Amino acid sequence: MIERDAFSADAHRYLDGEPFRELEGGEFAAADRLVAEAREYAERLPVLDPTLDEAVMAAVRRRAPVRRRGGLAWLLAPRTVRVRPVWVGALAAAAALVLWLAPRAPAPAVQGAVAVRPVADTVYVRFELAAPTARTVSVAGSFNGWQVGALVMARDSSGLWSATAALPVGEHRYEFVVDSTRWVPDPTAHAQVDDGFGGRNSVIVVGPKGLVRS
Amino acid sequence: MIHGLGSVQPSDGTVVRQVLAGDVEQYRILVERYRSEFGRYAIASVGDGDAAQDAMQEAFIRAFDALATCREPERFGAWFFRILTNQCRNAVARRRDTVPVEDLNPPGSDRADQDLERGELGAALEAALDRLTPEQREAFVMKHVDGRSYEEMAELLGVGVDALKMRVHRARDAMRAMMGALR
Repeated sequence: MIERDAFSADAHRYLDGEPFRELEGGEFAAADRLVAEAREYAERLPVLDPTLDEAVMAAVRRRAPVRRRGGLAWLLAPRTVRVRPVWVGALAAAAALVLWLAPRAPAPAVQGAVAVRPVADTVYVRFELAAPTARTVSVAGSFNGWQVGALVMARDSSGLWSATAALPVGEHRYEFVVDSTRWVPDPTAHAQVDDGFGGRNSVIVVGPKGLVRS
Repeated sequence: MIHGLGSVQPSDGTVVRQVLAGDVEQYRILVERYRSEFGRYAIASVGDGDAAQDAMQEAFIRAFDALATCREPERFGAWFFRILTNQCRNAVARRRDTVPVEDLNPPGSDRADQDLERGELGAALEAALDRLTPEQREAFVMKHVDGRSYEEMAELLGVGVDALKMRVHRARDAMRAMMGALR
């Protein structure tokens, strides 16, 4: 670069709005001209077309729901919905579904502590039921042939029963079975359907990317 | 920063939390807000309106996909700006891959000559901008086209004030030399 084409340190201070001592001849004019040209350039710039907004929104709607926790964390972190079914009475039960996406492998002992990778066709679903006075609890559903005892839930010291099943993509129906005799729908489910026997089945929908409605 | 007059606008943090909670439509607030806020920067950085539009759109979609990683939702703007900056740099690189730098707006080119003949002061500046490095161009545009303070620039770019001053100074020197050659 030719030396005379560069601004002096004082000219830069002037352009930065800082105190300066003195400028060489013509530098005031050169500095002011640069600022004026930048201002005119800015005024001539077009604005971005607002139709961009709708294009973005159309794209993000196709991508919803948003990942909540970043990276793969949203795959690791269970989503729990707790309710208190009104029918249970003395059981004072609360049901919960915990859902996450994982490869076909044994369920982790510690929630969120297992390394997972997305698998398109399998979502692990963790069922929970708080039923301190129950002797046995299991989950029967369309994914296990409605067999009582096919998915037995384990009880912890607080009376929380839990079990995990790998469910394929699609819609499934299920109920809790308490003490091998009481069939209990999950009132937290987004939909309940007639079971054909005067009761209601709960519905869970498993999407190809773990997008689940329960 | 005031976004809109006569109505209360939700903060970035509020909007981000609403979107993360599943209200995707709220994302439009951020799109409108920052399309307006950073639109001029995008066009001036890329040097092409259509390419800037594409870069801005891609930046918003990438930001949506990564929204849960925005650790400070109240500072969504600065976080988004860095995504936008990367997209603008990619757009500039694509332009330079397809159009030789010397052909973008060369001194004596028809476009530069026509602009100068029309007496448009900004034409020489636009031609010179094409010849800056991406970092110099970003810094010059933020300082002299967007009119931002060094502190604002540091906030948006995550770069120290001293380093930004250096970029702007070098950009000015290069601009002065190139614009002198254009006249």
